[in-house]
Amino acid sequence: MEISNLPISPSHRGKLLAAGYTTLASLSSISPVQLAQELNIALQEAYDILKVTSESRNFESCNEGLGEGASLFSHSRAKTAWDMLSEERSLRHITTGSQKFDAILGGGIHCSEVTEIGGAPGIGKTQLGIQLAVNVQIPVDYGGLGGKAVYIDTEGSFMVERAYQIAEACISNTLDKFNFQGMDMRACQEKMQLNNFLSNIFYFRICSYTEQIAVINYLEKFLEEQKNVKIIIIDSITFHFRQDFDDLALRTRVLSGISLKLMKLAKKYCLSVSVLLFNQVTTKFTEGSFQLTLALGDSWSHACTNRIILYWNGDERHAYIDKSPSLPSAAAPFSVTCEGIRDALPQYKRARTT
Amino acid sequence: MPPLGSLEQEFPIIDSNFRRFCASHGIFSVEDFLVNDLCALTGFAEREPMSEALKKGIAQVVSLMDRQHQPWLNGIDLLRDARGNKRILPTGCQGIDFVLQGGLREGLLVELVGPSSSGKTQVCLHAAAHVVDEQLGTVMFLDTGNSFSAERISSFLDHSSMSSSYSKVAKERRCCSVMNSIVCQPVFDIFELLDMLHQLGITLSHKVRSEGNKLCLLIVDSISSLITPILGGKDSHGRSLMISTGFALKRLANEHNLSVLVTNHMVGGEGGTLKPALGESWKSIPHMRLLLSHDCGTNMCTVSVLKHSSMVPSSQVSAATVI
Repeated sequence: MEISNLPISPSHRGKLLAAGYTTLASLSSISPVQLAQELNIALQEAYDILKVTSESRNFESCNEGLGEGASLFSHSRAKTAWDMLSEERSLRHITTGSQKFDAILGGGIHCSEVTEIGGAPGIGKTQLGIQLAVNVQIPVDYGGLGGKAVYIDTEGSFMVERAYQIAEACISNTLDKFNFQGMDMRACQEKMQLNNFLSNIFYFRICSYTEQIAVINYLEKFLEEQKNVKIIIIDSITFHFRQDFDDLALRTRVLSGISLKLMKLAKKYCLSVSVLLFNQVTTKFTEGSFQLTLALGDSWSHACTNRIILYWNGDERHAYIDKSPSLPSAAAPFSVTCEGIRDALPQYKRARTT
Repeated sequence: MPPLGSLEQEFPIIDSNFRRFCASHGIFSVEDFLVNDLCALTGFAEREPMSEALKKGIAQVVSLMDRQHQPWLNGIDLLRDARGNKRILPTGCQGIDFVLQGGLREGLLVELVGPSSSGKTQVCLHAAAHVVDEQLGTVMFLDTGNSFSAERISSFLDHSSMSSSYSKVAKERRCCSVMNSIVCQPVFDIFELLDMLHQLGITLSHKVRSEGNKLCLLIVDSISSLITPILGGKDSHGRSLMISTGFALKRLANEHNLSVLVTNHMVGGEGGTLKPALGESWKSIPHMRLLLSHDCGTNMCTVSVLKHSSMVPSSQVSAATVI
């Protein structure tokens, strides 16, 4: 394997190549002290370089020893499809509050996947975000995930009073539902306290794109400390990348780097974390007319696992699944009420009397 | 190529005297030998004391360099290899199999290009399910976007013709044994991918050949999401990593008789038309490029050939969507 394919800094790479070390094998019999002398770098840096190369070399030597026994499963994260099937079937989903919306999603928002939700202004993206941040906290006994939420706000549209209102409605609805089924109300009431609901939402306010990148880098450490986070909501991912961003190539690189990091987070804290990204709309000139499409361009449309588009159909709000690896394309109506996201009320047309 | 000093352990002829002689002509590593005139160097060596040892040293270095190139093959060897070792793996999607003249051929790198939600991941999942269903070998799926869905694979297997005659218990057992032949690994970094391909090459060369369990299909979905964060900018290292990845994939395909399938997305080009991402340098790397497009109204996917190693790219086929 070539040295240029290893993750080392450009200056070290340049020095290694100038000294004649171009393949992994050429570094096999050199000590850190010797390397530091030859390349004229600090001893610690030589240790770091050899550490990066030694991992690959260890694999080579242990495979030569094993011979027949070596298999494709020696990589720690490789799994067979059968194991993944049983994992997927045991995954819980986060309910959105509207039954029809949940139905097209196959039960709710999937875990360990990155979902992008886009729509015109005023369609209800922030409302959906707050509803999900509350719904994820419903205890496991009552059909939820019993976890905490991270809300990263770039536009400043999160309103605490609204979160309070939605949490109140969620608690009373859950109590009603389970009271109806005959479960113990007192235990339920103790578990679902309004103050707990609000204290389990971790809120970050972001004011520039560098802060956004910094928060996403910090999230990994944060998730390790706060063990129980089950949803990360970024509202919205587009805001700081649309205006004043001159270098479009840099924007593409930064955004694809962000999406890879988020995918990695969703997979690492597997079975529990789902990431939700909100996107805005823009107009695009295609085939002679202006159409509304999601912002950030074509390259961003590949950065998510699922995509849901919210749109107006007459007077009703609808949700449409645009991209999903396992769900068919379908649309469902929903509405935003004072209690949060609920099913759309049926509209009765008055018969004409002539 | 290592500097001459590190070769002393293995080849004692390359001692400090030899190295001093080479240094006096500006040669410090084996690579420097390649750019120097060897006849002139031998002439200089004759005039030195201990010229025999120096000439032996030069011959030793030249033999080291000779070991570095690939073995020569003639046309008959290549034909024999193509007919004997390189099978055709059908993907199960009729349109794609027709356009590829039978299916994915082992030893070749095929790229699927298409705008968002045009069916690229579905084609990859369907191909993986079909290959293990027909028991042609095992499949490795490198997933960069958490889009591998085991549920979808099991629904493909349920719908396939082979399983319709089994009872429920037998179906479950068959599903289990078949799905154990698909291995999925999430990859989120280009260096991780290169490392993985390197390790895969070593594993495959050490493994004893057993027909049923041999790896025959490698899918990378999608390779563009790993390369886009490093491409462009002031440094051209990103482009060299992209080319190295392409070469690593092609070398794996050729040496170990794998078929490699990668997916790529599209970006806006001149005049508003879409073109495949990753630029001009990537264009020549895959052996075949297929363009998928999804028509929202009729729910049909169209496959067309952008580049084919042995066919004129003008045929276009409509393929129905897989349910």
